[in-house]
Amino acid sequence: MVASPDRAAPVATVGVYYNIGFRIEPRGRSGFAHLFEHMMFQGSANAGKMVHIKLVNSSGGVLNGSTHYDVTNYYESVPSNALERVLWLEADRMRALKVDDENLRNQRDVVKEEVRVNVLNQPYGGFPWLDLPPIAYRNWSNAHNFYGDFDDLDAATLDDVQKFFKTYYAPANAVLLMLGDIDVDEAMRLAERHFGSVPSGPAPAPADTSEPPQIEERRGVVEEKFGTLPGVAIGYQAPRRLTPEWHAAAMLDQALHGGRAGRVYRRLVLEQQIAVDTEGGIHYPVGDLFDYNGPTLMVTRILHKPEYSVDQTLAAYDQIIDEMKEKGITAAELEPVKVKFRSNYFSMLEGGHGASIPRYGLMHLLACFSLFDSEPNLVNTILDPFMNVSPEAVQSVAQKMLTRQNRSIVIRRPVKKGAA
Amino acid sequence: MATAPRSETQSVIPALAPTRPVIWPPRAHKTLSNGLEIVLVESHTIPKFTGELFFRSGNAAVAAKAPGLADMTATVARTGTQKRTSREIEEDLRRMGADLSTGAGADTSVISFDGLVDHSNDLLALVSELAREASFPPEEFERERRQLVEGLRIERTTPSFLASERFRRVLFGSHPYGTISPTEEQAMSYGVEDLKDYYQRYYRPGNALLVMVGDFAPREMLAQIEKVFVSWPSGTADPVPDPPLPELASRKVYLVHLPGSVQTQIILGNRAITRKHPDWLRLTLANSIYGGAFNSRLVMNIREQKGYTYSPRSGAHPLRQHGYFSVGAAVRNDVVAASLTEIFYELDRMRSTPVGEEELDDARTYLTGVFSLGLATQDGLAGQLATATLERLAEDYLETYRERVLKLTSADVLDAAQKYFDTAHAQIVVVGDRAQIESQAALFGNPEVYDAQGKRI
Repeated sequence: MVASPDRAAPVATVGVYYNIGFRIEPRGRSGFAHLFEHMMFQGSANAGKMVHIKLVNSSGGVLNGSTHYDVTNYYESVPSNALERVLWLEADRMRALKVDDENLRNQRDVVKEEVRVNVLNQPYGGFPWLDLPPIAYRNWSNAHNFYGDFDDLDAATLDDVQKFFKTYYAPANAVLLMLGDIDVDEAMRLAERHFGSVPSGPAPAPADTSEPPQIEERRGVVEEKFGTLPGVAIGYQAPRRLTPEWHAAAMLDQALHGGRAGRVYRRLVLEQQIAVDTEGGIHYPVGDLFDYNGPTLMVTRILHKPEYSVDQTLAAYDQIIDEMKEKGITAAELEPVKVKFRSNYFSMLEGGHGASIPRYGLMHLLACFSLFDSEPNLVNTILDPFMNVSPEAVQSVAQKMLTRQNRSIVIRRPVKKGAA
Repeated sequence: MATAPRSETQSVIPALAPTRPVIWPPRAHKTLSNGLEIVLVESHTIPKFTGELFFRSGNAAVAAKAPGLADMTATVARTGTQKRTSREIEEDLRRMGADLSTGAGADTSVISFDGLVDHSNDLLALVSELAREASFPPEEFERERRQLVEGLRIERTTPSFLASERFRRVLFGSHPYGTISPTEEQAMSYGVEDLKDYYQRYYRPGNALLVMVGDFAPREMLAQIEKVFVSWPSGTADPVPDPPLPELASRKVYLVHLPGSVQTQIILGNRAITRKHPDWLRLTLANSIYGGAFNSRLVMNIREQKGYTYSPRSGAHPLRQHGYFSVGAAVRNDVVAASLTEIFYELDRMRSTPVGEEELDDARTYLTGVFSLGLATQDGLAGQLATATLERLAEDYLETYRERVLKLTSADVLDAAQKYFDTAHAQIVVVGDRAQIESQAALFGNPEVYDAQGKRI
């Protein structure tokens, strides 16, 4: 249990994070971790279908859940007088899931529409977050379709649901977070009261997410059904978290992908005008620097003008990369990169990805530092090693990481011709 | 507190504790002699501040001349000033740990920014430069325009955009609110002189509002702001035209054909009201019960019972001169007719049967709670203050919001539903593959069919 009080506004955010994401869902069941997340809203030991949603909304709060590579979260933001009610709800669904075939059929349909609206019926849907893993990785855990093949979603059974729950949703595999307008002693007492009776179970054995060493550049092509611009995304295998290389890689990433001043956007969009848009980051775009616990990529995503070929675009990109490796970064460039990194970190604490959930970002960091690193207090100290990265360290990690053999490339090729 | 037996602890839903009051942080509200209106609030959650410099004119102000011109003006305004090049602007922002974006909607143009408090003076100086001394470099304009055109092409392949575009055209016709995005030809017809002209006319202090929230003392921040902005020569802007709206005589169906779609985007609704209308809160509450929350009737029906869609929602959308109410859902191709039937069934139920006390009470608590959540972050606070001040709502609008919501009755909800959930005159837009959905759409009226370029087919 982790508590972080701030009593300025009378609202509290509560989250339960489970140490299971879509990376290690069962084989033959792609998309299952996410489908399962939906099932967690379908009814638990003492709160039937819709009771979770109704109780939170009718207390003046909002709720949601999300599935990531290595964690799945369930969270509520409520006026603080609803704290105990929310703890009761979360404890109840940690205790037992009470769902039936009708619930499973219903949520399978809902999830398919989610996949259609976000991926199959959208320009650049899944580019590159679903495109890159099968190209970049050899271990099924890292390489499969995380949103789920429809055949696999159809094959999922109620038995799978209960088995998954029993394996991964034990208290020993979870962390509870309570933030905002709480009295710490009182909140801990309430949490004990409701979670204390949840039957314990063994934490699951750690899964093997290791990758064999990459020895050559990997490439793939995906058809773009709707959009008119060609896309290309490049992913370099990133260093392990909490290592000195990781700290340096984060500064390298900020120098390359940090907004319009970042080298990639400045060169490709503003100066050479080959690209119309570029973005990127470590564990981009469905995660961030802190919320993964296994192999990941530093990704650059480029949409370029149709009058430039993919090869021309990549050649211009490679020039940026080669320059970084050859000449490195000056202290004069690194200093503002650090200022911006620090500023972004503060914004993340307050809002993060869930704009309507106060302190979502702080909750997310505390959870990841607890589950992955057993040290929630990293949230207070994590900035220091980033601020101490030297220009030499940035150049050194660039030379080591930004090699052809360490990268994978996916090309999104439009079916339609949009060129003027 | 007595300890309940374990089984009871598990099976009995805990009651709500007494509510804790919202303490409003100190706020400063001042208008400088040149007309610039300023609202400041302190919030010490993080060592940063966030701000927005608004101009009360947007794309609607010049729609007759060129749709989207205000947005293009805002976009290019951040690419150069008398003192700084585009690259210097971006690098200076990074040095201050700041983010900045510019843009325009129908009714406002805005420069939004946030940064570390240690650099607030430098960031204010840059914002002031962008607002007063933008230089509109021709090569930056050409680059941005090409990016805009490529963006417009991608928009035309996005179902939700195509649905909103047709829906707004149907509701508002040739009124500026009827056009949400320029055509490629219109974008190509912009000249850099048009942008400068817009900038000269509307980026004036008498047309502006600066809202800032953050880790500062309002009095000191106000002094900083005055120093930076007091030399801005005063000036106001022309009023925005409000041409007549089309008559919507009966229910009608529009189909936008997007070949190969594996899903259908539905949007339907009617013109409604602005935030200043006396019915606004009634409509907000009715919307919340109908389809504005996760536990609303619409979501329960077509998502949780029937599994037709992932994220159905309804919304009351206020613009400055008019407003509209809409229901949206992206549904499976074979249940377009079934989804429309349920959407209308739930609308008509709201119109014909009073909402019960429990559902009413839940919805009132939901609205007041979500309002409180919105005050707990710097961004949230800034957004609420901006809305209230931009629309010139009552000075105590935010402070009294929750008590006004809690006074609403079942009769208020019924009244709002009868006025604004006007199913007999609903305008229905579906975007998808014609071959798969036209016969279903036709059950609700003879569809007018358009292609993705907006041409009637």
